[in-house]
Amino acid sequence: MTEAKTSDGENAADNPILYVARPMATAARQFAKSLRRPSTIVYPYERLEDPRFRDQVAVEPGRPIGVGQVWDNYRGVHALNIATCISCNLCAFSCPDICIEMVTVPGDDPKHPKKCPQIDYGKCSYCGFCSDACPEGCLTMTTRYELSTPHRAEMVYSPQKLNEVFRSKLPMNPIRLELPENEDRILLDPPLCIGCNACARDCPTQCITMLDVPRPDAKPGEKLPKRIWKEPVVNDSDCVRCGTCISVCPKECLFWGSRP
Amino acid sequence: MSEMWINMGPQHPMTHGLWNLRVKIDGEMVLDVDPEMGYLHRGIEKISEDRHYNEVITLMDRCCYVAGFAWEHLYILAAEQALHIRPPERAEYLRVMSDEFQRIGSHLMWYAAFVQDLGLMSPFLYGMRDRDLVLDLFQAYTGARLTYEYMRVGGVRNDVPPGFTDRARKVLDWLDDRYREYDALCMGSTIFRERCDDLGILKANDCVAHGVTGPMLRAAGVRRDLRKDRPYAVYKQIDFDVAQADAADVTARYLVRMEEMRQSNRILRQVLDWLDHHPGPMMADNLPRWLGAPYAPIGNEGYLLKRSYPKGTGFSAVEEPHGEACAYVVNEGALHPYRVKFRSPVFSNISAARQYLVGYHVADIPPIMGSVDVCVGEVDR
Repeated sequence: MTEAKTSDGENAADNPILYVARPMATAARQFAKSLRRPSTIVYPYERLEDPRFRDQVAVEPGRPIGVGQVWDNYRGVHALNIATCISCNLCAFSCPDICIEMVTVPGDDPKHPKKCPQIDYGKCSYCGFCSDACPEGCLTMTTRYELSTPHRAEMVYSPQKLNEVFRSKLPMNPIRLELPENEDRILLDPPLCIGCNACARDCPTQCITMLDVPRPDAKPGEKLPKRIWKEPVVNDSDCVRCGTCISVCPKECLFWGSRP
Repeated sequence: MSEMWINMGPQHPMTHGLWNLRVKIDGEMVLDVDPEMGYLHRGIEKISEDRHYNEVITLMDRCCYVAGFAWEHLYILAAEQALHIRPPERAEYLRVMSDEFQRIGSHLMWYAAFVQDLGLMSPFLYGMRDRDLVLDLFQAYTGARLTYEYMRVGGVRNDVPPGFTDRARKVLDWLDDRYREYDALCMGSTIFRERCDDLGILKANDCVAHGVTGPMLRAAGVRRDLRKDRPYAVYKQIDFDVAQADAADVTARYLVRMEEMRQSNRILRQVLDWLDHHPGPMMADNLPRWLGAPYAPIGNEGYLLKRSYPKGTGFSAVEEPHGEACAYVVNEGALHPYRVKFRSPVFSNISAARQYLVGYHVADIPPIMGSVDVCVGEVDR
């Protein structure tokens, strides 16, 4: 237990000269410091994320405030690399504010259009869950923070606009979360599977292969189930755990679980 | 003189946020007060029932906009208890470090606002300038200055960057000097002392009767600090003292907060030393699939049906910069918490306004309410 008291310990109220002179002396000292270099910067013309401030900022009087290298993992406007996006939907699923929508971007294959995130910055809370969730590292956050616009519709950034942010080569958030060792996998409930190929068709990483299963011999009087005699096999090292296969499975025969 | 009611708020320099203090006056004397809250109600408890456990964290930062880390820690402790998860030790130390830096940042913000209520402009600028250093530290390891989203159920998002602890120590050294300067500016000034002494007195038994906690309670001579009395995270292993004063007036609250900042510096030095020598994992390794990653993709409902997850409830109480905050989380085995309930310290502190405002002058209201440290974001939630 400590008794809270002034840090110098003496009672300044006893000495009338001290309690007029001391605050004035402190204020005068501060004023003298501010003459050398102000604690602030001239914002629209100077910016703290400017690389030339990176090594200058310091905890010293007469220097612009800051502790250096604070912009390394800043969470600002996203940058999207459309070329490496695999359309896995994980960013949209992880968004707490439901501000990410997967929209079609024109691609090489008109039959299978590619879907990339479109972000509504009017709703975005800059939590970074989407860039944490991105398995390919194509959706990251940059140091851009100026978003003012007179029109609300301009707050919606299309994938192409996010790709332009990516091309502008801003510093990007380097933090990548590591998946845990005992990561759960996609498992199959074989009796339910009808071999429809939906999971393998929609898998963004093409890690599901349909392998033949032996067709059992029908006993007399028994009717075999009507199905394609194939079953999905998941390559765990390529799987990004997006759950697309589970959502498209018509028979709900895929599920999360740990493989022994 | 005739009596009349006046509204101080919802937009008034005294309020520091969106709330209304109705005051009944007779000339200059305050006869009765009636605090009105609810202008900033966002329904955070209800929204939480619709979000995954990790997604609630984004709401916690917006609960109190000057002490986001304290509320993150509060919710995370309750959620981990409800989900039967134990975080690794290094994550707990990082949380305590964030908590204590947040306490310094919040108290500096309070200092700036409080002295501005008294009409002192220069200390306001000093307080805001030094708070920026703390925010810079937060930005260096979380990537944001106000809404951090750093803690996760089962650990924290990432480690501090290399060289961070040295920079943090530099900031602590700088702040140690500044505390001395603040004292010279305020406690050394006759005007400040005559404005604040014997003002807004709330005695210990009144504090207890109205649920007033935090620096206001300690300024009334009660030694009550949840970090000591009900240690959470790693506070048991850290050496620090509880700040306390006896006068129960505005000056006593000022002194308690100043002493708390010095004690936070002391705690932070120990935590930074520990962090230097104990590398380790950031996340617990026995997390269920839908919590291990920061996202909860589809298919999880089916997953939960196929293997039932243990239910539970979690209660946590944290010494927030403003007082004692409590959280209660009910886990019914679904992806979302079934019910989340928070207890805000400031709500109780300003609900007792009648006890410490009646009998003083109208001009005394800004310093008294300034010494309460109001954060309306957590009052209304």
